[in-house]
Amino acid sequence: MNASDGPSTPGAVVLPPEVSTGDAPLLRLEHVSKAFPVQSSKLFTRGHEFVHAVDDVSLEVRPGETLGLVGETGCGKSTLARCIARLYDLTSGSINFAGTDISHLSRRQMRPLRSEIQMIFQDPYGSLNPRRRVGSIIGDPFAIHGIDSRTERKKKVQDLMERVGLNPEHYNRFPADFSGGQRQRIGTARALALRPRMVICDEPVSALDVSVQAQIINMLKDLQDDFGLTYIFISHDLSVVRHVSDRIAVMYLGHIVEVAPAAELFEKARHPYTRALLSALPVADPDAADNRERILLVGEIPSPTNPPSGCRFHTRCPKARADCVQTDPELETAFDDGVAHLTACLHPLAIDEDMSLSRPQIDDSEIAAAPDPGPSDSTGDTP
Amino acid sequence: MALLEVRDLQVEFDTPDGVVRAVRGVSFDVAKGTTLAIVGESGSGKSVATQTITGLTRGARISGSAVFDGAELIGADAATLRRVRGAEIGMIFQDPLSSLHPYYTVGWQIVEMIKAHDRSTSKGAARKRAAHLLSLVGIPRAEFRIDDYPHQFSGGMRQRVMIAMAMALDPALLIADEPTTALDVTVQAQVLGVMRTLQQEFGTAIILITHDLGVVAEMSDEVVVMYAGKVMERAPRRTLFYRHHHPYTEGLLASLPARGEPGERLTPIAGSPPSLLRLPKGCPFAPRCRYAFDKCLVEAPPLATVYQDDDHESACWLSAEESVREGQRVVSDEQEATA
Repeated sequence: MNASDGPSTPGAVVLPPEVSTGDAPLLRLEHVSKAFPVQSSKLFTRGHEFVHAVDDVSLEVRPGETLGLVGETGCGKSTLARCIARLYDLTSGSINFAGTDISHLSRRQMRPLRSEIQMIFQDPYGSLNPRRRVGSIIGDPFAIHGIDSRTERKKKVQDLMERVGLNPEHYNRFPADFSGGQRQRIGTARALALRPRMVICDEPVSALDVSVQAQIINMLKDLQDDFGLTYIFISHDLSVVRHVSDRIAVMYLGHIVEVAPAAELFEKARHPYTRALLSALPVADPDAADNRERILLVGEIPSPTNPPSGCRFHTRCPKARADCVQTDPELETAFDDGVAHLTACLHPLAIDEDMSLSRPQIDDSEIAAAPDPGPSDSTGDTP
Repeated sequence: MALLEVRDLQVEFDTPDGVVRAVRGVSFDVAKGTTLAIVGESGSGKSVATQTITGLTRGARISGSAVFDGAELIGADAATLRRVRGAEIGMIFQDPLSSLHPYYTVGWQIVEMIKAHDRSTSKGAARKRAAHLLSLVGIPRAEFRIDDYPHQFSGGMRQRVMIAMAMALDPALLIADEPTTALDVTVQAQVLGVMRTLQQEFGTAIILITHDLGVVAEMSDEVVVMYAGKVMERAPRRTLFYRHHHPYTEGLLASLPARGEPGERLTPIAGSPPSLLRLPKGCPFAPRCRYAFDKCLVEAPPLATVYQDDDHESACWLSAEESVREGQRVVSDEQEATA
């Protein structure tokens, strides 16, 4: 198998240097699950149905790194983020932050830790109270945590505003006076007020125009360097995630299906879902767009209320085999990958494997309803 | 002759805060069977321009001309526009859920659309056509799903329904306004594939409005770049990506994360787009442009041919002094490289 594993891996594979062994992870998730009860439409099953938004996720984040979290709508990436920030209680599993198990802390016990883990949200409009002045929005964390006198606070807020590229003289303005990009800077300033160690950025640039997006990405990078921040960066935009991340975890239907150093994920995607995701990403380069491998997945992401058996991707996977329907694969190394590259797939892809040639070899009823390949082929009898 | 010829289109809205000049003299052509992409950031006027062509901007002051298949659409009476909309110009929008009526089945809505334009069609025939259209856009078991309501479809499937409806009367032009922006990438790829297939099959011309340069690179034949209500650059796809002229186009491409080295700083465009209420006097991009000189601040440049290429136009004063700019660019690129 290794022989077929592409020409780019003769001899020793040099992996990006692991963070030195003395560095304990800042955040460690073990078998984290989060299920939400749903109102069932059936009369007698009320309370027995759950949306398994995050299911058995284990992850480590090292100090100072940026972990990218990608996946499509409903894959559980935002739920996972809110679990880490303990905005949600876990259904099961544990979260260890800087040596402390925070998974069972009460709200009160959690409070001192709130200053260590902060979030930046997607919607720069919805996340700022329109009736409050910017200075007091950014100063809130100081007020809540009882830090400093009023005058001292104002000085700190204005200092923060300057750090994120806002004019400190705009201290008394309202959010409506700022553009989308500037609002995202306000949200960032608020998140950084208490000097957190970890910031969870949930789609921070998705609502912004490209030219402004680049400004915010640069700002986040600068702040990371200045404050030694650890980021969890959530996005559905793979090109953004690739740019900012040291490592990337790909989620599908509540599971992490692949995690690898950023560049390696793009060059050596092992999981068919990762490969399909990469191939679906439009590239702003006509030559590359015309010549690239296009893998069209059939169907859409299944309901997390009743996820497929075995590997959750098998209903859409071109490489699905009988065992995929039975066995839920664990995250493990594939081929000669280094320890930092884990894949949850029973039939991982070799580097030069052409996935567009693969066809699922499982019972048709297991496959997501496929769009008819050709026009007017409504009978579906033709192969 | 082009299928659609838009000339000097101007659209203004009166608002309590003043006059919003959303579209300021936009001209472009769409040839039969080709895809014109209109790119721009929010507020660039790309949606307003196309909605005006189909008579969907109410309460606006409109001037200019839009000739579709020989007939003038600007100032045309409501009956004419109603006939053209749907039958000759199909439209799909970003949010398919708000474009579909929640109380009616998708089949009913497509049948209604067909019958509204051609009363002679029997209900049975219209229904058969609706089912055929749904299978055409890749909705599995279309003959059953035709009786489903919009909420029973996923986002991607809804957008397919919208495409089926827009294509129901075999229009010569399809206007797709951010058709995949609300969709996940794998679903986006499917929907773009459907549009491509239909275009090949029916020879439909497409105006694709998007902010995503990746989608532009995949789908377009020609590209119009808009900024603050004006066309900044117009060029065939490859020319735009590989031999663009306008500093705004250059800035847009440079700010893409995919263009930068991972982990390195990106090259954003400084500042933010101007308010349409308070537009700068000269070139609207001048306040953010790194090549701007005195003339740019006082006089707006016209759209003019550049690089001796008749298909390539740019609204930039640097056109006249290309050599100067080439020099500047080389220097600044080197500076970036060494920085």
